Amino acid sequence: MPIPQQMGKGDRMGRGPYEKSGLLEDTSLPPLRTIHSHYDIFFPVKVEEKDGKKTSIITSETMELDVKLWYLPFGTMDDDPFLWKEYKKTVKISTEGK
Amino acid sequence: MNLLSTTFLACLALVTFAVTAIASPVGVGRDKTLSAQPKANSIAELVARYDSSSCIECHQQAHDEWAKSLHSRSVFGTGRTAATFKTAIINGAMEWPASGVKSMKDVKVEHLMGCAKCHLPQLADATDKVAQEIMTTIETWQKAMINEDEAKAAKAEKTLSSLNINCLICHNRNAITHKWSEGYPKKDVVYGSKDGDHPDSKFTKMAKGQIMSESIQCGQCHGLGPNFDQQNPTQCATAYGSYLFAYIPEGGNKSCQQCHMNESKLGHNMQSYRSKDMANKAVDMHVETSSVYWRDNTTIRPKAAVRIELTNKAGHGIPDG
Repeated sequence: MPIPQQMGKGDRMGRGPYEKSGLLEDTSLPPLRTIHSHYDIFFPVKVEEKDGKKTSIITSETMELDVKLWYLPFGTMDDDPFLWKEYKKTVKISTEGK
Repeated sequence: MNLLSTTFLACLALVTFAVTAIASPVGVGRDKTLSAQPKANSIAELVARYDSSSCIECHQQAHDEWAKSLHSRSVFGTGRTAATFKTAIINGAMEWPASGVKSMKDVKVEHLMGCAKCHLPQLADATDKVAQEIMTTIETWQKAMINEDEAKAAKAEKTLSSLNINCLICHNRNAITHKWSEGYPKKDVVYGSKDGDHPDSKFTKMAKGQIMSESIQCGQCHGLGPNFDQQNPTQCATAYGSYLFAYIPEGGNKSCQQCHMNESKLGHNMQSYRSKDMANKAVDMHVETSSVYWRDNTTIRPKAAVRIELTNKAGHGIPDG
């Protein structure tokens, strides 16, 4: 979102409209443009030690992904959050091979 | 012409200029505007001046749509807007040494115009007594809410809700931005899509408003950034700035009204993300995932690689603020 500058100077964000003037940064989605982002979500593993050697064991071969686009008008999930879009998918990793 | 008569004429010209200056603009208006009448001295008087209830008889659908919009409760909002009027005084004007506000009793119209410029532009056509009445009513509402006095809270809410952006603000008072070239909005005219007679006892004519379907009409309030016309600039919305300097350069060619009124089929119920359709139309989200079995000699770290594309199809940044 556009992060308003407090009284048009310095590095502090203004919150109330009476103290907002200018922008410090703008993380909003720009019009008519596509924003790309990439995330690596690691599968949970537990580490076991066998014969003095640590081995990672996968605890689940599937992961339920829930991608949510939230708008937080007041900057926090505690105050009137708005779920804009949601995407769900199950991701599986292979169970065969070395 | 002798020296005496020349001096007399010069004095007469000065007197005429002084009288003209004193009688010049009231609010945004001049002679034949709603704004140019003597200033309203109470909330009731201000509401009566911009009373658009006679529009309902012929424009029921537009009215019903508008009643669902935030324009119909631009001062009260959900209560949060009204509270912010007060916060702007307590955390703003009362803290600023040169504002002239030491207590709520010092609040004048000029101190509320930071909010009212858009939430109640017609406040410029009222006396400081109205500014005081607004602040008192907000305080009454807040105290009644704390004391759980529902009747008192409802009465104060009703008063605050009577102050809004109704038909006459967009279709008369703020219907003309370029007043020197287009003329000032006339007090008996509603500005819309056509010229002609208008069957109303007070607003007897209609005229084609030059900006009614143009984005600049909405831009009057929906923000370029700091309002430098204020003694202490405020900044609520930046949507119109984003429209002008980001959407248009990207090749956008729709007006605010096209998306928010026409294509949305919402008419005068102008909504943004709170309308499910508007929210869906505004943003495309595309997600692709793949599994990657990453490993080194001793560690395995399988992962889901998630690629997200977000495309903002609206005419301004999302969110605005």
